[in-house]
Amino acid sequence: MNPLAVLLTLSALLFALGLLGVLTRRNAILILVGIELMLNAANLNFIAFWRYGPPEAALTGPTMVLFSIAIAAAEAAVGLAIILMVFRHTKSTDLNKLDSLRG
Amino acid sequence: MIPLLILCPLILLAALGAVWKARPVHAALLLALALSLIAVLYLALGGGFIGLVQFMVYVGGIAILIVFSLLITRPGDEGEEVARRPKSVALGAACVVPVLGALLYTFGKGLPEPAEGAAPSVPLEKLGDQLFTTGLPAVLAVAVLLTAVLIGAAMFARDFGKNSEPPADS
Amino acid sequence: MKKPVLTLMLSLGMSALVMAGETGPLVTAESLPRLPQRLVEMLLAAVGGPEWLVQLGGMAAAAGTVVGVFLGAFALLSLIERKVLARVQNRLGPNRAGWFGILQPVADGIKMLTKEDIVPAKAEALLHFLAPVLIVVPAVLALGVIPYGREWVPVNLDLGLVLFFAVGAMTEVAIFMAGWSSGSKFPMLGAMRAISQMVSYELPLMLAALAVVMMAGTVSLSGIVDDQGGFVLGFIPKWNILTPWGLVAGLVFLIAGVAESNRTPFDLPEGESEIVAGHMTEYSGFKYALFFMGEYLGLFAISGLGITLFLGGWQAPLPGLGFVPTWIWFFGKLAAVIFFFLWIRATYPRVRIDQLMRFAWLFLIPVGLLTLPVAAVWHYTGRGLLGWVLCGAMLVVPYAILTVLYNRRMAPATRRYQFVE
Repeated sequence: MNPLAVLLTLSALLFALGLLGVLTRRNAILILVGIELMLNAANLNFIAFWRYGPPEAALTGPTMVLFSIAIAAAEAAVGLAIILMVFRHTKSTDLNKLDSLRG
Repeated sequence: MIPLLILCPLILLAALGAVWKARPVHAALLLALALSLIAVLYLALGGGFIGLVQFMVYVGGIAILIVFSLLITRPGDEGEEVARRPKSVALGAACVVPVLGALLYTFGKGLPEPAEGAAPSVPLEKLGDQLFTTGLPAVLAVAVLLTAVLIGAAMFARDFGKNSEPPADS
Repeated sequence: MKKPVLTLMLSLGMSALVMAGETGPLVTAESLPRLPQRLVEMLLAAVGGPEWLVQLGGMAAAAGTVVGVFLGAFALLSLIERKVLARVQNRLGPNRAGWFGILQPVADGIKMLTKEDIVPAKAEALLHFLAPVLIVVPAVLALGVIPYGREWVPVNLDLGLVLFFAVGAMTEVAIFMAGWSSGSKFPMLGAMRAISQMVSYELPLMLAALAVVMMAGTVSLSGIVDDQGGFVLGFIPKWNILTPWGLVAGLVFLIAGVAESNRTPFDLPEGESEIVAGHMTEYSGFKYALFFMGEYLGLFAISGLGITLFLGGWQAPLPGLGFVPTWIWFFGKLAAVIFFFLWIRATYPRVRIDQLMRFAWLFLIPVGLLTLPVAAVWHYTGRGLLGWVLCGAMLVVPYAILTVLYNRRMAPATRRYQFVE
């Protein structure tokens, strides 16, 4: 079996699972869980292509993953800060209830 | 190849639990499990430093942050009731399946022959060299971003603390 | 039954003799701690085990040595801690079990093991069971990468320091699991305190270590120790603590390390007068002992890392002491550092949670960040007298400003406590 194919399938499935989580969850924090899974699926692709891809792409994959991880950390911090601010005002993290702008 | 075949199903199971479990804390803990298994996968693929950083940031940072916000917002035991909302799940699946199909189709189309042999290593010196030569603008951008996040988080925490502070005795 | 054992011993002795003839003496004082590993390797090779089995057995023996040594140290410390605290507080301490209470750890162990193992009815059984296990694992892993002597590095990794911090992340998850799965208020509060404290104090810890990495140019712990070898002027050791940036980074590391291992004055997560025992409240018997053990192993690990980074690791403090096995220096330093921790514990009262967080974010992290440019200046001014002057100025001025700001904004004020919402 082709290891690259295995890794890419894993990453596609992870992405799909993350997307499913984002689409079906109501709690904002758990939507973030789905987003993290999708981000990791993308990182997995970088690592897979770095490991099994053409050799001239030396270290580009790990470098990209490093940046991606740093940005994911910032994203999680900002996202959770926003969610907590919303929670302070509405006492809820249920996104279905945040409809005060609805006409 | 063998560690890969062991790890992949485990990662998928943990991820499935993370998006499916009704209790939020269980979902967050399973996310931590999935992310640490991905870190192990990176280590197995030879990306030593990346695997450790993945573990440090995702498990020690992001998973903990998520768990902590779950505790602060106290979602209680009403749960998420994913399984009990067939309509939303069906809708979600209807969106996900085409995406998954497209991804698998693209990945399967022009797959290069994998370069077999020993895993390439991640020499830290080389990684650092690359980061501070060709990657310098990106490093600076990330540095600015992280500083902004740090300052923003500090301001946020100050505002958050201000309202809940007990009145001083005087 | 006796015969195979005899044959085994004989073949072992023979192979030992052969090895002694080939590669010098079987064991020197320097490589004494590696004796179990070599014995197991020889034994497996003597009975005709394949190559990978020999290596695996050797690694297991090396790991077993470290775990055994530190479990012994843990038992000893649990007695010494009580003795030292008693001496400071003008008491006698445990003195009933054995001579000077030397058998007290054994008595404690028997007591812990024979206690009933209670799982609360509201607990999540699986997580409740996993938490104490997960708290010991990272401590043991972290102990595995530290170089204890020139020839005694259980696992010599190029990424030793990164691994040390990465496995530390597991502790936080374990503490959360313990607090949440107990299904009770006090463990929950304790876990939240512990996690916020550990997240906050991990940053200064890493920043302090980062300065050392910058100067040594490697994240391999053996490399960092080698970098601190040698002497200035023939008698001052080249330890990082004896440089301006290293002194400050070392103090930051010390404070953050005390907080990271949840010890007084930062032991809020288990402040017994406030929240019973924090995340350990609902644990009993052997599981409680595991928490206790994880905490002390973590203390050893963080002290060992501090010694490796700032106190020269296994390097001798004075020239001309090369005949002493290097691991003796390491354990001597470890004993001194641990005694310092006990001394702190006996001296300082517990801080308040808001003081704790402010101290980390408003003081330790800025100072930790400051050590990085100071280290750079030290490097580029030739690591000499000029460096001392410049670095001293760079450190003292921001320190004074920070202190003034900190004291003005955070001076002790009367506070009235009420529960929040």
